[in-house]
Amino acid sequence: MNLILFTFIVLLGFTSYYFGRKKAYTIQSSNKRLTALPQFYGYYLAIWCAIPAFIIFSLWAIFEPTIVKLLVLSDYSNQGYLDDELNLIYEKTKSLSRGQFTGEITPFIEASAEKYLSLRSIAQSSKAVIVLSIIIASVAYAYKRISSNSRTREPVEKFLNAVLFTASLAAILTTVGIVFSLIFQTIDFFKVIPLFDFVFGTHWYPAKAFVRDSSEALDPSMYSDTFGAVPIFAGTFFIAFIAMCVAIPIGLMSGIYLAEYASSKVRQYAKPLIEILAGIPTVVYGFFAALTVGPFLKELGTSMGLEVSAESALAAGGVMGIMIIPFISSLSDDVITSVPQSLRDGSYAMGATKSETIKRVIFPAALPGIVGSILLGVSRAIGETMIVVMASGLAANLTLNPLESTSTITAQIVVILIGDQAFGDPKTQAAFALGMSLFLVTLCLNIVALRVVKKYREKYE
Amino acid sequence: MNKSKEQLLNKRYKAEQRFRLYGLSAIFMALLFLTIFIFKIFSTGYSAFQKTWLIVPVTFDAELMMLEQNPSNEDLQDADYYDIALKSMADLDPNANEDQENELKRMVSYFFEKEIKNELLNNPGLIGKTKEVYLTASDDLDQVFKGNYPRDLPEDQRRVSDYQLKIFDQLVAKGKVESKFNISFFTYADSREPELAGIASSFMGSIFSILVCLMIAFPVAVLAAIYLEEFAPKNRFTDFIEVNINNLAAVPSIVFGLLGLGVLLAIFHLPRSTPLVGGITLSLMTLPTIIIAARASLKAVPPSIREAALAMGASRMQTTMHHTVPLSMPGTLSGTIIGLAQALGETAPLILIGMVAFVNTIPGSPMDPAASLPVQIYIWAESAERGFVEKVSACIMVLLGFLIIMNLFAQIIRHKFEKKWS
Amino acid sequence: MIKIKAKNVDVFYGKKQALYNIGLDIEENQVTALIGPSGCGKSTFLRCLNRMNDVIDICSVKGEILINDFNINDKSCDVVRLREKIGMVFQKPNPFPKTVYENISYGPTIHGMAQSKQEMDEIVETSLKKAALWEEVKDRLHEPGTGLSGGQQQRLCIARAISVRPEVILMDEPCSALDPIATAQIEELIDELKKEHTIIIVTHSMAQAARVSQNTGFFHLGHLIEHGSTDKIFKNPDNTKTQDYITGRFG
Repeated sequence: MNLILFTFIVLLGFTSYYFGRKKAYTIQSSNKRLTALPQFYGYYLAIWCAIPAFIIFSLWAIFEPTIVKLLVLSDYSNQGYLDDELNLIYEKTKSLSRGQFTGEITPFIEASAEKYLSLRSIAQSSKAVIVLSIIIASVAYAYKRISSNSRTREPVEKFLNAVLFTASLAAILTTVGIVFSLIFQTIDFFKVIPLFDFVFGTHWYPAKAFVRDSSEALDPSMYSDTFGAVPIFAGTFFIAFIAMCVAIPIGLMSGIYLAEYASSKVRQYAKPLIEILAGIPTVVYGFFAALTVGPFLKELGTSMGLEVSAESALAAGGVMGIMIIPFISSLSDDVITSVPQSLRDGSYAMGATKSETIKRVIFPAALPGIVGSILLGVSRAIGETMIVVMASGLAANLTLNPLESTSTITAQIVVILIGDQAFGDPKTQAAFALGMSLFLVTLCLNIVALRVVKKYREKYE
Repeated sequence: MNKSKEQLLNKRYKAEQRFRLYGLSAIFMALLFLTIFIFKIFSTGYSAFQKTWLIVPVTFDAELMMLEQNPSNEDLQDADYYDIALKSMADLDPNANEDQENELKRMVSYFFEKEIKNELLNNPGLIGKTKEVYLTASDDLDQVFKGNYPRDLPEDQRRVSDYQLKIFDQLVAKGKVESKFNISFFTYADSREPELAGIASSFMGSIFSILVCLMIAFPVAVLAAIYLEEFAPKNRFTDFIEVNINNLAAVPSIVFGLLGLGVLLAIFHLPRSTPLVGGITLSLMTLPTIIIAARASLKAVPPSIREAALAMGASRMQTTMHHTVPLSMPGTLSGTIIGLAQALGETAPLILIGMVAFVNTIPGSPMDPAASLPVQIYIWAESAERGFVEKVSACIMVLLGFLIIMNLFAQIIRHKFEKKWS
Repeated sequence: MIKIKAKNVDVFYGKKQALYNIGLDIEENQVTALIGPSGCGKSTFLRCLNRMNDVIDICSVKGEILINDFNINDKSCDVVRLREKIGMVFQKPNPFPKTVYENISYGPTIHGMAQSKQEMDEIVETSLKKAALWEEVKDRLHEPGTGLSGGQQQRLCIARAISVRPEVILMDEPCSALDPIATAQIEELIDELKKEHTIIIVTHSMAQAARVSQNTGFFHLGHLIEHGSTDKIFKNPDNTKTQDYITGRFG
């Protein structure tokens, strides 16, 4: 039904475009000067067709369900039902009307379902009538305006500008959406678990917080010593640290080599090859870490008499480091190449060797940019999920031994949220609280890093 | 004095060489990782493209199948194949006792009944006759045949019994075991049994997700880029948008998963586990990437082109739509493809919105539950069966293949169609 | 006495030839100016003298350049030692993004010329004094060199170049980015420096060449058209092209 209506409106739009343009030609043929190209007359009409349709469709989408619900449930008013029960009745009604209801059908619900269906069909047909009549009215009004040869290009362009502007808000909306989706659950979480316990507690054991029956009263003591995030934060930074220990030396040195030493031929092949490492999906790295690196390190450790967990922080961190190499190397390559040649010349002319020039002149000059790229790498390491989920442990141990297993923020979010989630349960909310902390930490890192890199770029431009 | 100078110079040159060597070995290390990586994936994965079949004589006994004389096609559909299937497996060893018959049955996949049925449906004349039918070997025998399974383990530690191995070796000796290209890997949906698991469902899931992602992210991103680059006034608000975009490009992907879960599923009640929700989530992730690429290629169009059009009396909107945007399209498109390739490899957000559910049907639309290729890799990698290891690697090969094709495509668009402004 | 002797020098950028068969003698402790229209190859020739063209991948130099009778284009020549002896000052001041002190101490440090902090302080002070910059910067030795004015930066670069006591100083249009007052200071400085160093200066200001130099070479389209004493070149050139250039008919 909706689809037919929609197609019809689209057709109507095209028709009004056609008539608008035709009108323009008629005006032209009567030897009057047009205010804009004939197409704009068409666009003008089409826009007058689209905007009312869009407004009515969205109003309907917002208000129809609420109104229908109110009307259906009005039968049950004065019968002393609770809100929750009314909601349940309404859900049953809806699924019955869709023919998906499996439970016991009572005459009450059957009656409501019939009422629901008839209300829906009334709503649909009245929507069609209202939309069509308003569109026709607005197109007629617009047609009258173009007949008097008033301006069309300016309104059309204003409209396009508004569309472009709206699109550019998408980024802000996404950020708002992220904050919005995290903040309510996080606040609910901290209503049950004190912030202090979360930030300074050293025991993380969310499995203890099983799903409660909704009738049961909240018992905060049940969760004490369950959601202490210190081991999680420590594990996250520890694994990120291991990753950076691998990525910084290799990435930085390859960036320097590519920028300063490599011939254009070597650069042409080596650079894209290293960048392949950045294009490999993280789940593949996770598989590699879990299947190859973990067992390899375990065996290596055993042969040296060390006890190495198959899910050691070293395996996850090391593989994560490999993943981050190309970020560091290409960013530092860019940064180093943008150091002006005159500085190099100055140093060479003093009789400095290449490595002296790099170490004493280029590196200090490029340092802010390099620090920025490393910070971006750290932000990536902290937010990386799949490698840790697959190769690192899931139990949160508070340890600084790289051979033992630890867990991270991201891994815990996945562990908690995989499968069915019950919203309103502290365990689920804990995942969102973790997500909030992850978002805030990476946000700070990103903003600082981006600012440093931007400042650096401006300096040498 | 001169001598110490000589020594110093020597030291300096040695330091130079050392430094150069560090750089070279760093590159070497990075490339070595890449090589090990690719070698490991290929060496474990290539065998998944072969599938082992047991060739078993089946007697299509009408009585056992409960068929009457001159059965219609429908009768054949409804006939009972389980008994003849069991019987043909049991007949492999006439002396088998009941336990052993059970073990014989487990030498093939539980699809054996269906495979026998298909044979008869294709050739109804077989009733009452005996014919050799290709039956999918169980995953353990499949691994044994490919040499991936250690046969020398004690019997209680492996999943194939000595008896099964004995019968299997007899079949091998008779040439009744064959390895053929594994078509079902591409046409079957996921399964708990490695020998029957395929990537069709997750592949379709990926395609649907990417299409949804493209349809949302591309128009919005291009329009936003046009606004920001061509029309936006330089003020605090546009600066704020810009900071937002750059930051979103670096937000961990799992946070987008939480967004999908907390907003799309919990508030808008979109269907869980579907490519629709996956695609929307991915589109939010891809948006900044495409905006940044589109802005860069808009910026690369020289101002002289705009000035020329404006000087001809074109409005700003016309200048943009007629000249700037078409000229910037190659760069935008190649950025879009790279963004989509990233989205194709993304796993964590899809897991959070439930695309990790076990789906054994092939989805027909974005509204049906599905997995995606990377999630499939995750699911299989977490499974205990040995047969899934090669499947994971093979799935990785397929995924990497797609990523390589997409990236090549992006390169070609960039090099072939992008104008070089000197 | 002749310090540098260039014989049959050809320079190529890839396939394009930039210099043709240059032969030029440079007198010790005098200022030699290289003049000519832009793109004539004078800077390229200057960069041959301390092998700075090595930095450019596609550039190749043929012929002999003898400094103290030693061919610097020979394989056995060590560029690091060569550049220690031949300093260079560039067109645009290019101080390192470090402090004034570190800018000067850079050369002596890498060449191991100072055994102690005290010696280094001395080198820094004398170099800055010779570059006539000491009075202006002695209170801010540990502030970034990039914070100085353009003329100060260029004198800092000259101080940096003389800190390793080079025999020759190459100057590639050292005043082109400076205002007239700073230019006058640098020219004065050049006059002072020639007592201890041999100086070769590339300039496109003929007035400057006439003011500071004793010898002049005129380059045109990659050829050395004429060279000799500055007096002769400016007053009585042999070649009509030189005459035309000097009198401002082209260039």
